[in-house]
Amino acid sequence: MTKKLFNRILVSNRGEIAVRIINACRLLGIPSLAIYSTADRGAVHAQSADKAVEIGPPPPRESYLNIDRIIEAALENRCDAIHPGYGFLAENPEFPEKCKKAGITFIGPSAESMRLMGNKVQSRIKMANAGVPLIPGMKKAGADIAEFEKAADKAGYPVLIKAAAGGGGKGMRIVKEKKGLKESVEAAKREAKNAFNDDTVYLEKYIEDPRHIEFQVLADTHGNVIHLFERECSIQRRHQKIIEETPSVALTPEIREKMGKAAVNVARAADYLNAGTVEFLLDKNGGFYFLEMNTRVQVEHPITEMTTGVDLVAEQIKIAAGEKISESAIIAKQTGHSIECRIYAEDAENGFLPSSGEIIYYKEPAGPGIRVDTGIVEGTIVGVEYDPILAKLIVYAPDRDLAISKMINALKDYKILGIKTSLKFLMDVLAHPEFKAGRTYTDFIDRNMGERIIDKKLIELAAAVSSAALISKPAISTAGGGVKRTSPSPWQTIGTWEIGMRISK
Amino acid sequence: MADNRDLGNRYEDFKMMNEFIYRDELIETSAEPKNDGVNVSINANRYSIIPAGTGRYSVELNGIRKTICCVIKDNKSYVDIDGVLVELTIPSDDSGNAAGAGGGNVEKDKVYAPMPGKVVKLLVNEGDEVTKKQPLVIVEAMKMENQVNSPSDGKVKKINFADGDQVDTDTPIIELEIEE
Repeated sequence: MTKKLFNRILVSNRGEIAVRIINACRLLGIPSLAIYSTADRGAVHAQSADKAVEIGPPPPRESYLNIDRIIEAALENRCDAIHPGYGFLAENPEFPEKCKKAGITFIGPSAESMRLMGNKVQSRIKMANAGVPLIPGMKKAGADIAEFEKAADKAGYPVLIKAAAGGGGKGMRIVKEKKGLKESVEAAKREAKNAFNDDTVYLEKYIEDPRHIEFQVLADTHGNVIHLFERECSIQRRHQKIIEETPSVALTPEIREKMGKAAVNVARAADYLNAGTVEFLLDKNGGFYFLEMNTRVQVEHPITEMTTGVDLVAEQIKIAAGEKISESAIIAKQTGHSIECRIYAEDAENGFLPSSGEIIYYKEPAGPGIRVDTGIVEGTIVGVEYDPILAKLIVYAPDRDLAISKMINALKDYKILGIKTSLKFLMDVLAHPEFKAGRTYTDFIDRNMGERIIDKKLIELAAAVSSAALISKPAISTAGGGVKRTSPSPWQTIGTWEIGMRISK
Repeated sequence: MADNRDLGNRYEDFKMMNEFIYRDELIETSAEPKNDGVNVSINANRYSIIPAGTGRYSVELNGIRKTICCVIKDNKSYVDIDGVLVELTIPSDDSGNAAGAGGGNVEKDKVYAPMPGKVVKLLVNEGDEVTKKQPLVIVEAMKMENQVNSPSDGKVKKINFADGDQVDTDTPIIELEIEE
């Protein structure tokens, strides 16, 4: 038996990532503790861990963001480590600080590197000094609109406005000309204030035809810093990534090597520990610019796991326990092609409005090279309190064309009824000739995906199937609404009736 | 096999009429059990549908077989056709009008929040003339700002909320005066 890394790990998150971390704990033989809000009593993550505690009411401030309550729960249940997942407290430096005071290991970087990378302005200055290339723009946050106008004129339109404390696209705006600048700065400030309680925003040049390329890094307490290659996350909607893949078609072995080295340099300059992601923008000519470093496990980490064979969450736990990065990770190579689709509860045919409700039918795709990371099951109620991510579908295939084809088929086999999902939208993106050709720039959705309307023929077909469903299942149909002009189905009187049953030879 | 055919024939005269609503469109269907499935007629089109497991139905269209998922709950039918999700409302006997409550209220002279959330910014004042699709209010739900546009040309008659107010989907944020 290898030595036990931790006594018990508190998983400070919910949904698919909490389930993912609980599974990693199980793999390493470490007991886990889930936390849940009153809205998540029956949630999958709360049921998956060996133990679970209720920590407060649905609003995140009173539950998943309540540091003191979470640490109390950890101490009460003899947890000696906390994994924050992504989102919620994952990048809040107060969390590792308070963990340290309580004698609990935080599975992630130090509060200092988190604080440095959390401030997009300071981290840029530090990285510029370390020789990492940056996008032209404001050196510090703008105080008044005149400062923004001056900086925008200097960098040249279009410009991008970003929240200093930002992430996940919140508080971000592209401005094409001077006319819309003031309005966009105000909107970005409002969003930033709401999302991060900090309305500091800054401005930089917006690179056209850019690709979003990020590098996975790992750093241990023994001085080892490695990268596990890139992920291309150019397909974004409202600056939220929706499809990620690796390897990127845009990287030659030379650019990959240069970017990998730069990523390792960023991690070293930040005195980084544990798993992190260094984000770059890649321009048409192979030039790349440091954007930011995400000091957490990424939503899209599975595609790196598929192509390198490294279990990133298990590595995180081992590194936090003071172990060296696994030899298998150090010698890992990139093989095959992997794609991830994020499935959101949103209505793609109606302005991508978030959708909520009960999942009344659920079936996951399966097969070789298909992975589903999720925290939902049939009967799960998708509420409005939390991020609308339902699941991540990940495929692995020997090459990109096969991976695309496998993903389209897996998306078709993924059935979620009761709420609106982005499944069909994702299928259409993957099947688009521009996607297949690898022309994946960050404005792909705006450029290639037009207004979406459902074909009238499909509405009629849906009505036809619905009436067949009503006649086959009269018992369900009468609940609630009731049916007009319906006689009792003769099938009710037939008795047990099985499809495909042979009645006589 | 012969018995199977008999089973269908026995109920040859039986027909079940149903109505479904998609947005503001009414679809009338006529269904009859036939052999191991159901034949459905809508206008001049006929569909032959075979149940294929819980919530699953097999349909042949232009020579290609498709499996379509459909689950009915309360007064709604949820359908998945190769990933396209269609939600149909089954009108009930007692409610005379088609526009039921819940999920995305659409009325020409009222502006509702698409989701329960917070009014971030009202973009118009009472008395303003507005045009169809003009942005009227920004509502924040699930941490994202959503712009709500005017459903028609008209004049702002009444604003029921102020910036910062919590809103649900049942009370209109803005009421419009429109010319019919």
